[in-house]
Amino acid sequence: MAILVIAEHDNRTLKGATLNTLGAAALLGGEVHLLVAGRSCGAVAAQAAAIPGVSKVLVADAAVYEHQLAENLARLVAGFGKAYSHLLAPAGSAGKNLMPRVAALLDVAQLSDIVGVVSPNTFRRPIYAGNAIATVQSLDPVVVATVRASAFDPLPAEGGSAAVESLDATHDAGTSRFVGEELAKSDRPELGSARIVVSGGRGLGSGENFALLETLADKLGAAVGASRAAVDAGFVANDMQVGQTGKIVAPELYIAVGISGAIQHLAGMKDSKVIVAINKDPEAPIFQVADYGLVADLFEAVPELEKAL
Amino acid sequence: MSDYVHPYRDTEFVLGELVELERFCAEAGLHDVNGELVSAILAEAGRLGSEVLAPLNAVGDTQGARLGERGVEETPGFAAAYRQFQESGWPSLTAAEAWGGQNLPNVVGTAINEIWHSANMAFALCPMLTQGAIEALAHHGSAELQAAYLPKLVSGEWTGTMNLTEPDAGSDLAAIKARAVPNGDHYLISGQKIFITWGDHQMTDNVVHLVLARLPDAPAGVKGISLFVVPKFLLDAQGRPGARNDAQCVSLEHKLGIHGSPTCVMSFGEKEGAVGYLVGEPHKGLACMFTMMNHARQSVGLQGLSISERAYQQARQYARERLQGTRKDGSRFPIIEFPDVRRMLLQMKASIEAMRALALVAAAEVDRTAHAPDPAACARHQGRVDLLTPIVKGWLTELAQEVTSLGVQIHGGMGFIEETGAARHYRDARILTIYEGTTGIQALDLVGRKTLLNRGELLGDLLDEIGETVARLESAGPFAAQARALGEALAAGREARRLLLEGAEADAALAGSVSVNFLMLFGYLCGGWLMARSALRAQALLETGGDRAFLEAKLVTARFYCEQLLPRTQALLAAIRAGSGSIMALSDEQF
Amino acid sequence: MKILVTVKRVIDYNVKVRVKADQSDVDLANVKMAMNPFCEIAVEAAVRLKEAGIATEIVAVSVGPSACQEQIRTALALGADRGIQIDTAEPPESLVVAKLLAAVVAAEQPELVILGKQSIDADNNQTGQMLAALLDWPQATFASALALQEGRLEVTREIDGGLQTLSLALPAIVTTDLRLNEPRYASLPNIMKAKKKPLEVRTPAELGVALKAHTRLLKVEAPAERQGGIKVGSVSELVEKLKSEAKVI
Repeated sequence: MAILVIAEHDNRTLKGATLNTLGAAALLGGEVHLLVAGRSCGAVAAQAAAIPGVSKVLVADAAVYEHQLAENLARLVAGFGKAYSHLLAPAGSAGKNLMPRVAALLDVAQLSDIVGVVSPNTFRRPIYAGNAIATVQSLDPVVVATVRASAFDPLPAEGGSAAVESLDATHDAGTSRFVGEELAKSDRPELGSARIVVSGGRGLGSGENFALLETLADKLGAAVGASRAAVDAGFVANDMQVGQTGKIVAPELYIAVGISGAIQHLAGMKDSKVIVAINKDPEAPIFQVADYGLVADLFEAVPELEKAL
Repeated sequence: MSDYVHPYRDTEFVLGELVELERFCAEAGLHDVNGELVSAILAEAGRLGSEVLAPLNAVGDTQGARLGERGVEETPGFAAAYRQFQESGWPSLTAAEAWGGQNLPNVVGTAINEIWHSANMAFALCPMLTQGAIEALAHHGSAELQAAYLPKLVSGEWTGTMNLTEPDAGSDLAAIKARAVPNGDHYLISGQKIFITWGDHQMTDNVVHLVLARLPDAPAGVKGISLFVVPKFLLDAQGRPGARNDAQCVSLEHKLGIHGSPTCVMSFGEKEGAVGYLVGEPHKGLACMFTMMNHARQSVGLQGLSISERAYQQARQYARERLQGTRKDGSRFPIIEFPDVRRMLLQMKASIEAMRALALVAAAEVDRTAHAPDPAACARHQGRVDLLTPIVKGWLTELAQEVTSLGVQIHGGMGFIEETGAARHYRDARILTIYEGTTGIQALDLVGRKTLLNRGELLGDLLDEIGETVARLESAGPFAAQARALGEALAAGREARRLLLEGAEADAALAGSVSVNFLMLFGYLCGGWLMARSALRAQALLETGGDRAFLEAKLVTARFYCEQLLPRTQALLAAIRAGSGSIMALSDEQF
Repeated sequence: MKILVTVKRVIDYNVKVRVKADQSDVDLANVKMAMNPFCEIAVEAAVRLKEAGIATEIVAVSVGPSACQEQIRTALALGADRGIQIDTAEPPESLVVAKLLAAVVAAEQPELVILGKQSIDADNNQTGQMLAALLDWPQATFASALALQEGRLEVTREIDGGLQTLSLALPAIVTTDLRLNEPRYASLPNIMKAKKKPLEVRTPAELGVALKAHTRLLKVEAPAERQGGIKVGSVSELVEKLKSEAKVI
């Protein structure tokens, strides 16, 4: 039986997480189909067909799928879902909204956020906010799962030529209605909840030089923080301080630039998933907690890093 | 994650196993109160403490209260926190239902107050003082005064203060000079009061001062002091705050710690005279204050526990995280692996658990007095309250000095750095042995009123009860060493009592000379007694299942207490035995 | 409007979990438990609707052993009117929970069910969507705002890259996200009163739901320890490591 991956897209472009989800599907073995459900989503279907490893692209192009309302889409997927061994979607807000509803319609469990494939019916997934990893086996005839994109290598976007098949069945539950959307707020995220934080220390030398970090942060969608030394030196405002007496942060990526790593600073960021330190002093204590340390002049390294991203 | 988490497990152990709260409530007819309810209340108070009050502790320290144009401006954030605290009904915990209170036992209130003081002692002083004002009015106020003020104080809409001390009248209240002159249906108060905790702030729309002052015809000394209610804003016909009274904060003290708690110089009657209303009878003001004294002193003792717990949690976390040792393979290990750091942590832990046990057991005696089935039982429990109160106040706060100091020590050099926060607890703790009667005053109370005055009867009862615990330890198998240690400490207690009773008459300086050592000896002995009882209960619970990690730690902590803290009773006894000789031998000039 | 709100008993968010030595699960023995934070937000949302005069009754439901009555009592202290505990030895998996809740919905006939978007133990993020499927009701997951507009529910949802607003016919399912509200603390008088509010216990058998297992938990491990840090030689090597090894950019 084939595997069905549900594409994440905005009716114009296919989202990259779909390629990672296809990467997870490839580990399962078997033919892979990709469902593109939307409205006027021909461009997405064309992108989907170009992915090597996808043997068939199913396109459901109808007004009722324009905003991917779960009520309508779940009926569509559940309608033919039993014909597949696996139904996979990226574990973004769209997949998380849709897949449990599909699973319940099929009377099967759903596995959330899988980060590893052990066998076609056994997967690894984080629980307790990633403080433990569970290995879970599905006992159902169909495996319905959402896939954490960052855990799987993506398939290439180009090089294939899958068949494209249109689906004409439309399902309209008629109970929910799209009202509006407010996307792409470009504001820098809040320090306390940002996925990535770029922090500067006394090594920056002045408040003006924090502009370097801001450029880098904007490129990464990161928040900007500072060590107490930088705050005390008057480079930046108090509310940017990361540390024992400032904000405690635990982002996925913390980039410490020109920060030596006083204990009080470490107390505020040591729970970050990945820590990068850039400092010209190879003996700086920050390197002891850093996953990746770069001994370099920050005024050269930071612009170079920003360009390399 | 908060840097303070209420140690609910230990509190529930003490309430359940030492206080036997459920049995007490059932016997006292408090059928609404049980362990499940108390757990729910502790959990919610713990949340508010951790999430709202604890984060403001450092803010209060660095941005203390200041005097502004409209009076005292409290630390930023305190007003919002107070509103949350007040709207959640916490001020009403133990007050009578008639005034809108929840009528919960004092021991439950004490367990909850531990949380507030751990989370933010400077903040928690405000509701603590209010509680004192509530008690004064509830016991001595006229029906009219009670109706006007108690519901608002119990709900926390208004806060209360205690105005006793004057520049010339500290421990010696006989020297009070503030005056009260009759003026129609009220009195006009004038004079200056100092060290008035939370004497003014902007968190509520009224502040109710209880003020000691002298009537024109008052006899000299303590028998001429009367108690008055002086509101910051006079009440209008509807009982709402109206005209500003002639009572204000004229300056704030600069202190070693608790910067978030405004310590006011209050000036009454600078203009036309502050309107005040007599509480109780004329010239009986000090007696009114004595009603509150046991509670106030136990509350300060509790603060010693609270600040120690906070210091311990901080030191423990640091010791687990601070890498400062290198293994043979080059990997580094945290300082908690060093034996001496473990000793310090365990000394903090053992002290704290003994303090908590004593604070709650003493608080429960207040409930047992209130709910005693007959006058004899009432007298017995009141005697125990009277005896334990100076020990709770004196010993817990003295121990807090050592515990918070160890907290700094564990941090090494970082402990001396303010930003680390360990030093804050050390500074904040320092007031505790001073206010609400210094350790010296507590010790005089213990040797005088609580021992010599009743020929040692109260102490004798306590010592006999400790003797029963020694006997149970002896017959319980694994506790032979602890039975011996507690037995020796008990013997030291008996000997100290004998030396005092037999020597005090012949040597007028003896009681005062030995008093603090006497108090500390009985503190360590009471702590050892309750830790031994904890160990017996923990052993019994282990045999029927239960939380192994907690119960086994309790056994070890009790053992450590017996091995390392209880022997201090012997040194104290030696000092007591030395009597007053050298202490009184030097002339004043020779110091 | 009657509202059903679900509350789950989970490990307190302050407690760091430890994996059992035999890797069979995490060790929850004697660990402090509390109401799932997203469920607190759900309860708060329901209570606010009641305070606004929109909701008339709030029923708090929990699935699990009798210990979860503690969390129902918390919900009652926060403002729910009565509680239902569906008694199971362990909290079952999401699909079974959804079936149990669907049976309660059939009996209670609420117009709105509010659930937390996920529990902080299993991190599944499924039950609300599954319940919606079983009832064939509309759903609005990850809600950050709620408003009742002419008999329909307008819900703002947190989606990747922004916010989306949906209008749902009632009855409907809503799952809560962090920004929907800031839950209140239970007041002391309400904790006392909660003891006297009704709390009934139902069994899966009474509700006609079989506790079928759809998955099997084979193993629980601690996450890989942080690797000893390395020094990289250049910016390009750093970027390469962050992309391919750490997978954070």
